[in-house]
Amino acid sequence: MGLISINFLLLAVITIVLYFIIPKKVSWVVLLVASLIFLFYDNFNIKRVLEALIVFGTSYSCGILIDKYHDSKKAKVFLVLGIAIIIGLLSYLKYSNLFINTVNHMLSIINLPYSFKLVKHSSLIGLSYYSLIMISYLVDIYRGTNKSEKNPFKLALFMSYFPILTSGPFIKYNEMKEHLYNGHKFDYDRMCRGLLRIAWGLFKILVISLRIGIFVDKVYGDINTFNGVYIIIAMLLYTTQLYTNFSGSIDIIMGVSEIMGIPLPENFTAPFFSRTITELWRNWHITLGGWLRDYIFYPLLKSNVMQKLNKVCKEKFGKKIGKKIPLYLSMLIMWILIGIWHSGAYSMIIGSGLLQFVYMFFEDNLSPLAKKVNKKLKIDSDSKSYHIYQTIRTYVLFSFSMIFFRALSVKRALKTIKNIFVWNPWVLFDNKSIYEAGLDILDFRVLIIALIVLFVVEKISRKEDVRDKLFKCNIFLRWTLLYALIFAIIIFGCYGVGYDPAKFIYQQF
Amino acid sequence: MKKEEIYERLNNVFRDIFDDESIVVNENTTANDIEDWDSLEHINLIVAVEQEFGMKFNMNEVTSMKNVGEMASIILERATK
Repeated sequence: MGLISINFLLLAVITIVLYFIIPKKVSWVVLLVASLIFLFYDNFNIKRVLEALIVFGTSYSCGILIDKYHDSKKAKVFLVLGIAIIIGLLSYLKYSNLFINTVNHMLSIINLPYSFKLVKHSSLIGLSYYSLIMISYLVDIYRGTNKSEKNPFKLALFMSYFPILTSGPFIKYNEMKEHLYNGHKFDYDRMCRGLLRIAWGLFKILVISLRIGIFVDKVYGDINTFNGVYIIIAMLLYTTQLYTNFSGSIDIIMGVSEIMGIPLPENFTAPFFSRTITELWRNWHITLGGWLRDYIFYPLLKSNVMQKLNKVCKEKFGKKIGKKIPLYLSMLIMWILIGIWHSGAYSMIIGSGLLQFVYMFFEDNLSPLAKKVNKKLKIDSDSKSYHIYQTIRTYVLFSFSMIFFRALSVKRALKTIKNIFVWNPWVLFDNKSIYEAGLDILDFRVLIIALIVLFVVEKISRKEDVRDKLFKCNIFLRWTLLYALIFAIIIFGCYGVGYDPAKFIYQQF
Repeated sequence: MKKEEIYERLNNVFRDIFDDESIVVNENTTANDIEDWDSLEHINLIVAVEQEFGMKFNMNEVTSMKNVGEMASIILERATK
């Protein structure tokens, strides 16, 4: 079920109405029913139910057992067992074809006339999200952060809470339980805030993301015709397409959840104002970063193996360099895992994993050199213009890595990069060529204005809550802006024939 | 062990980890107050503090500690050295 569809609208409206009609004590049951409908709506079959039941049953029983044997070694056994089952299932469903492809590739290299057949899996909506959420649930019980949930239906709701199944954010049990299980009274102001957030999400997706998508799809679909400048523009625009699509869908589901009085953790805080890739990742998909930090990066760095490595490296290479080695090794492992989580494809592992690691590695190691050079050239690194330069540089570097993300295969990504180096800047100036890639002059104008609006709103959001600011405006300005937003969505949204707005980029993960 | 002694020793650990002799921590010091204290350095700091005081933080504390004050109270409760 796409977020921009009549079905989702109906589900959200009916759920919200019933949520407030039914007695507060049991209103969470409405959420559970809605979540199960959302989870299985598109393809209800025994296999998908079984997958969800395995993750659920494992989390429920292991959670209780970890709690029960809290002070003994058995707790660790049940933790490991629980994680192994969930990861095992996730790997089987998501990565078996990557594995088979790799084996087949190797067999072909050594000229063996044998290949394995790919496995057919049904749609995996929600699986990547609820698997990681349930792992964090088990680990938190083990760490003593929360107790296990004894009511299986309440745990099922935590696992399948429908707003987060499409594209996150990742939630934690101890932060959500109060909000999820205690009903809420209807609140008019809260509803207005929620609706505004939904409208903003729709604007981002319908007016910006889908419009850019037309151009990007055309260019990436024929990189031989559309080369040079076309690819550079598509590369730069794709990052914004991805961001407005992903953060727009988060806005929609957070708005829905907010209306019911269930706040979700923020997943983005204006990432493209960041001056380094490291900073960008602190503001991009924040809850995934938090999950990886809490459950992989920190435990890995603190593990005995890494600490021993730390000691050895410090003795061998000195304190400064020595302590960096285990750090980089842990970072490398984490970034490869991020790439793997995004999908099994090598292009993803490079684009959203390895390249990000390489950027951060150089950022960390070249910054002393950059400081020296700036000093020598008398460049003021605290000046506004230098900050703008850094922000643009970060955006361009990130966009470059996203070529791998968009091209879907390493081969195609490399070909795309190669085709950038075709000299054709005149397509920008002959007043017609640039409009041949799907968007006409009007579309470009709408896009530019929409991007300026996005820029201004994001800029304000860094300092204060944009909705607070809007609600503080006088009545005329407030309603003018609200109507402008609504009409912009209706008039300038992309609803083109054959263009499925519900096809979210992130849903496939 | 007195609180003053904990802060004294914490100062030494912080100065050593962040290579800055001018650091003086108090109970309200957070990662925002020390330039290099990011999530990457956080674990090095935690491990150094553990070694200094002969104790262990659990993972929950590592991820939820909000300021040096919280760190000091955990140390006060648990330190052996």
